Amino acid sequence: MIPTDAPQIDILTISSAVLMIATFGVVVRRGFMDWLRAYRYQTMALSGVTAIIAYMTGIWEIYIAAALTLIIKAVVIPRVLLRVTSQLKFVARYELNPYISVRLSAIISALLVALAYFLTQQVPFRSDQILRAYLPVSLSLLFIGMFTMVNRRVALNQIVGLLIIENGLFLFATALTHGVSLIIEIGVFIDILVGVIISAALMTRISHTFDNLNVDNLEHLRDDKEE
Amino acid sequence: MFEPSFATLAAGIIQTLVLIAFSPLLTGVMRKVKARSQKRIGASILQPYYDIVKLMRKDEVISDQTSWIFKSAPWINFAAVATAALFVPVMLAYSPFGLAGDVLLVIGLFSLARFFTVLSGLDSASAFGGLGSSREMMLSSLIEPALFLTIFTVSLTFGATNITTLVSSAAGLQQLVTPSLLFALISMFVIVIAETGRLPFDNPATHLELTMVHEAMVLEYSGKLLALIEWAQSIKHLTLLALMINIFFPWGVATSLSAAAVGEGLLVFAAKALAIGVIIAFIETRVAKWRLFRIPDLIAIAIASSMVGIVFFYI
Amino acid sequence: MVSSLTLFQATIILYSMGALLALLLRGRKYSNLLTYLLPAAASLFAIVLSANVIFAKDALHISITRDALAQFGFDVFIDGISAFFILLIGLVSLAVSLYSVGYTKEYEGRKDTSILGFLFNIFILSMLLVVVSNSVFAFLVFWEVMSLTSFFLVIYEHEQEANLKSGMTYIVMTHLGTTFILASFLVMYLQTGSFSFDAFRQYVPFIPLQVKDIVFILAFIGFGTKAGIVPLHIWLPQAHPSAPSNASALMSAVMIKTAIYGLIRVLFDFNSVGSPDYTWWGILLLSTGAITSVIGALYAVIEKDIKRALAFSSIENIGIILTGLGLSVIFASFNLTALAVLALVASMYHTLNHAVFKSLLFMGAGSILYATHTKNMEAMGGLVRKMPWTSLLFLVGALSISGLPPFNGFISEWLTMQSLLSTSQIPDSTLQITIAFASLAFALTAGLAAAAFVKIFGISFLSRGRSEHVLHAVEVPRSMLIGKGVTALAALALGVLPFIGINLITSAFNIQSAQPASPFDTITLQNASGSNFASLSPFTVVVLLASVAAASYGFVRVVGGPTRQVVYETWDCGFGGLDERMEYTATSFSQPIRKIFKAFFRPRNSIQREFYADSNQYKRKTIRMESTTRSLFEERLYTPVVSATIFLFDKIRRIQTGKVNSYLLYILITLVLLLVLVRLSP
Repeated sequence: MIPTDAPQIDILTISSAVLMIATFGVVVRRGFMDWLRAYRYQTMALSGVTAIIAYMTGIWEIYIAAALTLIIKAVVIPRVLLRVTSQLKFVARYELNPYISVRLSAIISALLVALAYFLTQQVPFRSDQILRAYLPVSLSLLFIGMFTMVNRRVALNQIVGLLIIENGLFLFATALTHGVSLIIEIGVFIDILVGVIISAALMTRISHTFDNLNVDNLEHLRDDKEE
Repeated sequence: MFEPSFATLAAGIIQTLVLIAFSPLLTGVMRKVKARSQKRIGASILQPYYDIVKLMRKDEVISDQTSWIFKSAPWINFAAVATAALFVPVMLAYSPFGLAGDVLLVIGLFSLARFFTVLSGLDSASAFGGLGSSREMMLSSLIEPALFLTIFTVSLTFGATNITTLVSSAAGLQQLVTPSLLFALISMFVIVIAETGRLPFDNPATHLELTMVHEAMVLEYSGKLLALIEWAQSIKHLTLLALMINIFFPWGVATSLSAAAVGEGLLVFAAKALAIGVIIAFIETRVAKWRLFRIPDLIAIAIASSMVGIVFFYI
Repeated sequence: MVSSLTLFQATIILYSMGALLALLLRGRKYSNLLTYLLPAAASLFAIVLSANVIFAKDALHISITRDALAQFGFDVFIDGISAFFILLIGLVSLAVSLYSVGYTKEYEGRKDTSILGFLFNIFILSMLLVVVSNSVFAFLVFWEVMSLTSFFLVIYEHEQEANLKSGMTYIVMTHLGTTFILASFLVMYLQTGSFSFDAFRQYVPFIPLQVKDIVFILAFIGFGTKAGIVPLHIWLPQAHPSAPSNASALMSAVMIKTAIYGLIRVLFDFNSVGSPDYTWWGILLLSTGAITSVIGALYAVIEKDIKRALAFSSIENIGIILTGLGLSVIFASFNLTALAVLALVASMYHTLNHAVFKSLLFMGAGSILYATHTKNMEAMGGLVRKMPWTSLLFLVGALSISGLPPFNGFISEWLTMQSLLSTSQIPDSTLQITIAFASLAFALTAGLAAAAFVKIFGISFLSRGRSEHVLHAVEVPRSMLIGKGVTALAALALGVLPFIGINLITSAFNIQSAQPASPFDTITLQNASGSNFASLSPFTVVVLLASVAAASYGFVRVVGGPTRQVVYETWDCGFGGLDERMEYTATSFSQPIRKIFKAFFRPRNSIQREFYADSNQYKRKTIRMESTTRSLFEERLYTPVVSATIFLFDKIRRIQTGKVNSYLLYILITLVLLLVLVRLSP
């Protein structure tokens, strides 16, 4: 079963800290290429965390999940995104003017992390070390991802929020269940792949229509009689 | 009292035949009274009979726009009105077919007759027919509630809509004039005048389009069909009077099948019918035809009167 | 003898096959025939099934429930009440299916008729399943299927803007109604802890009175919306005329009766109303019925679109049905059982009658549409010569609905009037006077309905044709005549031999009564002192009518001798050139009534004159008059409600910024708030 001695707890804490830092790295990048790179690092950290869970629980399937995470999220998805968006103009790829400045958003993200820790304090299974370490992290990822999506004006850069949320959910599921059935996880991976492709394709269309990817333009789709 | 038997059935049919046979006479008498009160000599009181026979022997002119509705409407009209007459007692406090139908059926049969007459007015494609039909339907749809409320009052008082029960309990009543019946009578009188198309609702003696209701509908008829219509109108008039007489003034109606009682009943009925006919004729001389849209006021009075009658019954 | 189960299965399978084949065989040679002959066969099975349940007492109870989903099972229970409504559905859909074989040709070539056939079958099937459902879940599912298929039928001709608008009104109103029905069921569920109608039957009588009142009010509004009670009726005159005529016939004749079915279940089956606490339920039903019938009739009189006029008349007839139902509840609440039975029989008889003659009339209107391609009565006229059979059958319908002997409408109106007249036995004089005044509304309705149908028949079928629409009109195909003929025969049979209907109803509703068992018996009602209050024997009346007619014919022939009939022009005052422009039209026919009830109709006449010279205003070049009436309900009730709602939502929609970011922010805030809530809760 799950070992509970001190060094391993340290590994858990350290790994969650690494993952958190990687996440912040994604949040503070404004350019498409920058956050994509940062996202790669975050995913690597995530797959490391997954491997740790696999090592601690001794369930071999989670190693596969970790490997798949690495391959799909760190390699395939960035490539797909790069290819699909290669013909987009610079304005469509660079977050010039987010609603909240990058600095402030980092602070808000930190507050969200605090909130996540506060919220998960009384969750049962506190004896489960893995859960205790990673549940707040996964919740933080969820919040931060959402916040990022709220904050970005350029549609392409909203994908980053989606990907962070997805990573958070993955961690949440793995930590909670110690490995959902592998088949389901593969399904989830494929889902996110398809999701990314669809949103990328959609963005190409939006940029063709509006000349940029500013989501403010979508306001015009509202059914307004006054206009 | 009466038990269903061949004798009562025969007596009942005879009283209906009497009603049908004497109905033109009432029309003749009323015309005579009207003429006299207008300082005219007037035609013989038998004139309606001569008219009917003469019309029956005449060739007819039928409009080329009409259909089978036009040709069958007078027959249906006559049959419905005459059938209604079968249910109404004349000199006996007994309706031989009382088990087969009641006051509501009589009204239903009159409505059936009216439905076809109105259709025949529309059938000839003349503006007169349409005008008469439209006005007739307006009047009848307003008279319907007045009539039903009157029946409501009467049936509350006598505990029936079955005509035999109605008339025999009316005849057996010691003190007849109750306030509710009095109000019902006012209402019934207005209805009889309206239903039979007398002044001030309709002028049966004119062919001016501003004043016509019933005459406008039947303007296209001639010959046999016109005879049927005229006769049916007389029958309807006398039937309604008979209904009114036997419910509100049942004195002297025969409550047994003896020859004396029946003879007395017949004479008393004739006297009462003539009296009411004369009163209506006098009223007709006194009033002018009302403007069409003032007529609902009169019907409203009838409705209100019945409503007051109902309230009086319950208080 | 065949069991009810087999019959039920056969019915369901045949309707489903009809629906499927309509789609599978689209455009093939005999697809049309199969699509409508299968439901016709199914309807026959349905009729046999209901007879089996009603007369052979072979009630059917099927439970298709899995343990895990006990609350959501499809429970089927066919008792007498269900069987009565199955009979209604079967009878009408038999006639309408036969009729549709020909009628669909109206759409061939310009519309996809296979969709129509599919919807037609599914619509009938869903109505059938509504009345056999024995659990909330099944009932609501089929209720919704019924609403949706009828919605698609309403917008079948969606090329016309007006139909889409009616469809929208319909779907909004019907869902509003469904919400109330659902709420009513949920209240019962909360009290009984079960979604099964069996449990309702068992426990609802014991729930507190106030809760029962709530259940009743919710059910009344919910079912009332479907039935078309005033003021929830506005969808009905829009939706029913928009649908293809065969669907209109089904909607008006049967669909609105499912609402009556629902009310009866709630009133008499789940509950019993045998104490004065329920009197006000009856008063509510009665007064709503009275108002509904008068207003429906008033609108029917002035309407010039033939199908809309028929739809308004459906509202009127629902009012009459509710009047009977309300009286029945009032009588039952004072434990006057015999009178409660009389009123219920009157109400159900009228339900049956209305199904028969309204489907006949809608099929007739559809035939006119088929032949002339117009619904506007002002453009019709003279059809009696072009379409003799249709006009005869339509006349039967018009006579029946006007409540004239010897047709079926007279019987049910007679029974309703007798129930009204029997109110003297209620031990409460205020109530007696109230009901007496309600009877005023009833009588006014009867008068106005006759005026409306004289107008509809007279203007459409009689006199000269008013437009080129009628020039090329020819009699409709035989299948359409057969469909109408079936209902016309039913109307006559139910009118001349009322023992059929009365026995049917008393057996279906399990009522002990001493009413006629053979054609020669009379319907007899007794008054409090035991003497004959009223009796009626339509068969005798018909015999008398026929013999009087024969006798008078003989008399006239003998006295008058042979005469000729000369055909000549209509009298034109010697003016010459009488033409169709001088005839009375639908609008002019109803003008007196419009004027008398002007407080209600608010007619506006705008007259524009043009003179040859302004100096001489006696010589007019042209004169043009336009007369419009206003719909008080839409102006005074719906417009304020709708504009208030729009105002409110205008305020609310500020939240809807159109920015993806703000929507995401709402999600985030909601999520955080919920989590905080969970965290802070003990």
